[in-house]
Amino acid sequence: MIRLKEHKYHQDDLRSQRFLNPQVLLLPLSQHTGKPSVCQVKIGQEIDEAQAIAVEDGFISARLHSPSKGKVISLDKVNHPNLKRAAAVTIQCITENKRYRCLRDPAKLEREGLLEIIKDKGIVGMGGAAFPSYVKLKPPVGIDTLIINGCECEPFLTTDYCLMLENLKEIFLGIEIISRIIKPKRIIFAIEENKKGVLKQLNLFVSMRKFNLPQIKSAVLKARYPQGGEKQLIYALTGRKVNSGKLPFDTGCLVHNVATCFAVYEAVYLDKPLIERLVSFCGDGLKEPKNVWVKIGTTLSELLEKKIIELKQEPKKIICGGPMMGVALAGLDYPVLKGTGGFIFLSKIPLSAEETPCLKCGRCVDTCPMNLLPLEYARAVKKEAYSQLESLSLSDCIECGCCAYVCPAKIPLTHYIKTGKYYVAKSK
Amino acid sequence: MLLKVNSSPHLNQPLDTRGIMIRVAAALIPAVAASIYFFGLAAIRVIIICVSASILTEAVIMLLRKKKTTLGDCSALVTGLLLALILPPQTTGYAAIIGSVFAIAIGKQIFGGLGSNIFNPALIARAFLMAAYPKMLTTFASPRSVDAVSSATPLALRKFSHNFTPLWDLFTGKVSGSLGETSAICLIIGGAYLLIKKIADWRLSLSMLSTVTLIAFIAVKINPINGSVLFHLFSGGLLLGAFFMATDPVTTPATKKGRYIFGTGCGILIMIIRYFSGLPEGVMYSILFMNALTPSINRYTHPRPFGNKASGKGEK
Repeated sequence: MIRLKEHKYHQDDLRSQRFLNPQVLLLPLSQHTGKPSVCQVKIGQEIDEAQAIAVEDGFISARLHSPSKGKVISLDKVNHPNLKRAAAVTIQCITENKRYRCLRDPAKLEREGLLEIIKDKGIVGMGGAAFPSYVKLKPPVGIDTLIINGCECEPFLTTDYCLMLENLKEIFLGIEIISRIIKPKRIIFAIEENKKGVLKQLNLFVSMRKFNLPQIKSAVLKARYPQGGEKQLIYALTGRKVNSGKLPFDTGCLVHNVATCFAVYEAVYLDKPLIERLVSFCGDGLKEPKNVWVKIGTTLSELLEKKIIELKQEPKKIICGGPMMGVALAGLDYPVLKGTGGFIFLSKIPLSAEETPCLKCGRCVDTCPMNLLPLEYARAVKKEAYSQLESLSLSDCIECGCCAYVCPAKIPLTHYIKTGKYYVAKSK
Repeated sequence: MLLKVNSSPHLNQPLDTRGIMIRVAAALIPAVAASIYFFGLAAIRVIIICVSASILTEAVIMLLRKKKTTLGDCSALVTGLLLALILPPQTTGYAAIIGSVFAIAIGKQIFGGLGSNIFNPALIARAFLMAAYPKMLTTFASPRSVDAVSSATPLALRKFSHNFTPLWDLFTGKVSGSLGETSAICLIIGGAYLLIKKIADWRLSLSMLSTVTLIAFIAVKINPINGSVLFHLFSGGLLLGAFFMATDPVTTPATKKGRYIFGTGCGILIMIIRYFSGLPEGVMYSILFMNALTPSINRYTHPRPFGNKASGKGEK
């Protein structure tokens, strides 16, 4: 694991803003891990806010709702950070913010009922991978440890921290619901030491026993990357290792992000689907870094047009997500997705160096959190010897980017690894 | 708006190949200073010849290979500097040039340039000179002598006449030997800088030095004539080898376990040569021998992926 410069701006003084009346929303049908959802609307159709516009397809998929009242104007493909172009629903919005009120008493709901709501409201993991939450909450039997992930180990991003500072109570209500579904023996709420501002309140909530929770404790970890990764976090907190090819619940642990807990709270208490999220806008290309609540589907170009975010100078690179694992965008017409934690505007390109010969120094091997051999992957991919990759456990790579970060020869190791994974998958 | 699109990560730590090489060269400054102090003009002459010949050879070869010049990475500078420091003070200019050309051309470029060579270029060049000019390479001028009087090195004195050089002289460097190898304190300062700055991996240096310490500790208990622990640590090319040669990233293992094996192997071989062979010193041959084993060491020391049980181990 490595220590990165944090780039997190006025840490303990975070305040969120809101921008909830966009004109146009781009809603790709694939915003989650798994099969894209199936579109249920036609062009010209009038829709209400929170109405389902696409339903899940298959076991691992998620429902999609309209974040605003409006009219479907197109079903064409739009820009997608991960998939380049993807099928989507484009909505012309009519500003009319719906009010969400508590309709039911969640205490009366059983496990099945809660799961059904989480499924119906299209909740996915909001830490980045966007894995459908009801799938994650459903099969686990014998989970003894529920881990709440508030680490946010990627530099720049502060959404989880901001959410914890402003909505810790709601997060705890969300944890209560998750805890009623999976019935763990203990809960660990993990943050990194750079989020101390929330610790006081967190410890208060933990000790208060106001919430109906089993044994719960907070854990403050050193700020290291990639500690927010599921496997790394489980190991750091419990010493258990997730075996290669296995899932976290095989170790009896389940990890949920704080933003997911908040979304679960909104779904169950307010009957509100996942249609908004908190997004960090940061980097030296912006006048002021901000955390803004926006509707899913809001485009960067509209946010700039409405001066919600303002450019200080022309950016040279825009990253969707964190700087270590995020995707560089080719323009501004990209929407916020359910799993988007932030956008980073860089006015200088930190990676100017070109690739030079590998020194075989082994820094990539030393730093790899999965104990892999990145230099061997790069060598094999350059030789197109894809058959060697599998025996070198390529599939265990979590693409955290640590190897390329430390490489003195500036070899884009993560790029080679992704290329290798692509060809391995293709050959099957 | 023109945006750069590339694969993650979008951050990169600033240290590059050039930075590593420059820091290695900087770490050699104390040893260079000591060599000039003890051997005067002779040292300056050998260092300048080796460094400039190495850089020139690199430039010419890149020109012949029709590739972009690689002088910017400063690796030729480091190779030339290291070669100069392991040659005796009265090496002739001719031999120094041949050695430098050999180091760059045969030691490095013939394998495909930086990163592809199997042997440490400076050491392989010295081994070549040892074969070509055996007399010159085993005659050492006395330190701070006006008229080039030659005298035996501390290790040769121990081996052939059972004479022990005072430890203080070994520590400061007032003994005969190769240019940069004599002063223990200067090498320790440079080595500590490399280890603290994490330019060199401590596993290599530490395992090599501790193996030598352990063997010398046992040997001196058996027979005092074998030489004390500190004598073995401070004499010959051990410190230069442990801090600057065995830590060359290119020719040493890339895995952590492999580095322990490499260092330990070097230490054992050095002591075998020092105690049992016809040569007084064995750092050069030990490291070259372990260089040759490095690809195999790498292959058999693949780390076990995180979370893999023992059964998944040992796959190639």
